[in-house]
Amino acid sequence: MNHTPALAPSETLAGFAALLRDHGLAVGVAEQRAMLQAALIVGGLQEQRLRAAWRAIACHSAREWRLWPELFDRYWHPERLRGTVRVSGQTRPGRDLRQAVQQMREQMDTAQQPPTTGKTAPQTATDAPHAVAGDSEAGTPRAQGGASRSEPQMEALHQRDGQMWLPQELGALQRLARQITARLRPLPTRRWKNAHPGQRLDLRQTLRRSVAWGGEPLAPAWQIKRVVPPRLFILADVSRSMESHAALFLRIARAFALEAQARVFVFHTRLAEVTPLMQRDSAAVQEKINAVTAGFGAGTRIASSLGEFARVHARAQLRRGARVWVLSDGFDTDESENLAIALQALRAHGARITWFHPTREVPAAAALQGARRHIDRFIPLASVADLAAVRHALH
Amino acid sequence: MNMGTAHQNNDRLLRESLQQVGYLADADLATTVWLAGELERPLLLEGDAGVGKTALATALAQAKDAVLVRLQCFEGLDLAQAAYEWNYGRQLMAIRLHDCQPGSVKEADVFSRDFLLERPLLKAISQDGPCVLLIDEIDRADEAFEAFLLEVLADYQITVPEIGTLRARNIPRVILTSNGTRELSDALRRRCLYHYLDYPTLAREIAIVKTALPEADTRLVEEAVQFVQRLRNEDLSKIPGIAETLDWVKALHRMHHHALPEDMAVLLTTLGCLLKTREDRFGLGADRARQLVEGRRTVGVAEKAPANAAPS
Repeated sequence: MNHTPALAPSETLAGFAALLRDHGLAVGVAEQRAMLQAALIVGGLQEQRLRAAWRAIACHSAREWRLWPELFDRYWHPERLRGTVRVSGQTRPGRDLRQAVQQMREQMDTAQQPPTTGKTAPQTATDAPHAVAGDSEAGTPRAQGGASRSEPQMEALHQRDGQMWLPQELGALQRLARQITARLRPLPTRRWKNAHPGQRLDLRQTLRRSVAWGGEPLAPAWQIKRVVPPRLFILADVSRSMESHAALFLRIARAFALEAQARVFVFHTRLAEVTPLMQRDSAAVQEKINAVTAGFGAGTRIASSLGEFARVHARAQLRRGARVWVLSDGFDTDESENLAIALQALRAHGARITWFHPTREVPAAAALQGARRHIDRFIPLASVADLAAVRHALH
Repeated sequence: MNMGTAHQNNDRLLRESLQQVGYLADADLATTVWLAGELERPLLLEGDAGVGKTALATALAQAKDAVLVRLQCFEGLDLAQAAYEWNYGRQLMAIRLHDCQPGSVKEADVFSRDFLLERPLLKAISQDGPCVLLIDEIDRADEAFEAFLLEVLADYQITVPEIGTLRARNIPRVILTSNGTRELSDALRRRCLYHYLDYPTLAREIAIVKTALPEADTRLVEEAVQFVQRLRNEDLSKIPGIAETLDWVKALHRMHHHALPEDMAVLLTTLGCLLKTREDRFGLGADRARQLVEGRRTVGVAEKAPANAAPS
């Protein structure tokens, strides 16, 4: 760490702190002071120890903890990294994968904004009229092929866009899911629970406690109404026609599985529960989910999948106030009137149904049009930004 | 440089004294714990269950010959259970005893330190000698309690409205542990030094098991730990921690094995020590267990790197 001998230690440290802040670590003046203090105690030449000491000061979460070795080396030992890296922390394009992806996306966003304003889901939006014709299986791939022929580069980037997620984006999605979960209106129950500042006096408990003080109620016990959070079910369509959106849907579903203990199902021609996969955090799980979705891709039997969901999987849990979120474009290979019957059965349990569709407008699919009155709300969802926009409407 | 050498000694001393009481800390952890003491800052430890977060606090108390005060957090934990409570019964008794002499008892008399019941936080602050305060599983406590902790952790003081502010006579070493079931507030995180405890490396885990079970055969320990290390790379819902490894080796040792049993049926019967959910238990059949014992890491079509190459 002697590549900047002309600078005072505090200035060099400030540069390092700036790099850390660029990567989302909360390193303010207090932390910098503590780092200097640690350097004084530990001694500037004890690198291994200083590294451990600064890590303890600068990192505040597991994510930052894992990020640390790379950031430390990037600033203090740029020569150890492959390729040449400038000390400012900006790598050359193509060296660092995550930054390259970020940069690519930024470029793409700026380049794409003017021609596609107000059209967040280009493929499905344009394909919708073709697919209504009846053969959604044959129609959609053809239409997609057409789209990719007209804009080959865009298409490739778009698909990669859905696959590659940066950690901070996943974090943002998680936070958004938490906000939405907090807004989901809890169900009041008839029971009461003990709470310190409460609404009503728990007479029995108060009397019991007063025994210790010769019958004087010195420690009154209070109660408040007990509420239960609503059950959330997410049903994601992973059929061929939804292929390009499945990755987004599954990530959103996963965020809610973690935040709201939602049960997550995927369906194409049949329904499968993937909640246990969603609640774990490992690379192997992500591979499994990818494998599951890649394997899917024939037609979509929405009505029979919903029927199976209500009859078999969620029969006991579909109570009053349960929220069922269906993430689908509504193209059903079942008879179009079946969907209305299936949704009606769901509603009969007291569930509230919200339909998320990847297109701007409500899909024109015949089945969905026939079942509109059973669906509480339609919400367009083609990106995380769409979800953020409707977060106040979801309750 | 002089200070650096002094530090090195202190640092190494701490590591050695931890080792003497049976806790093998790596160099980074020892430095962090030592630094937390020097800077008088609390230390927040995160990591999966069973990696030795709580054990560090007990070992530190033992090594430093300090009193260990433990506050186990849970949902609904409040001030009365964590910091202090007035001893109402005693107060009433004092008033009744002096009933016949009017004017002899003033309000300040019954709201004095004598009538205060010490709960863990106050107890830690009012220790005269060295003290280690362990706030265990802070993520289980409510956010309101976390906010209350800020005063204690930043200034080592507790404000009792009737008495005033009670300052620590001897700054306790505070260790907070979290399993990450809930996100802690940024304010709390920024007041603490942070260390993420990961599962130990192969060599360290072998050393830990040997320290805890010196009578077990070296071959058994090495093979068993290697098996557990490979098992951790499997897709499990509950990854076995160090405590599970110790249990398992202890069980195998009790069954008079000197190495991992060749018979998979025997091995599988003891796996209850390591795998704690039904799903995991059914996921690991005899064939998979044999593969893990032999060290073949074939998953699907992709060959994974050997377990030894896993990051430390």
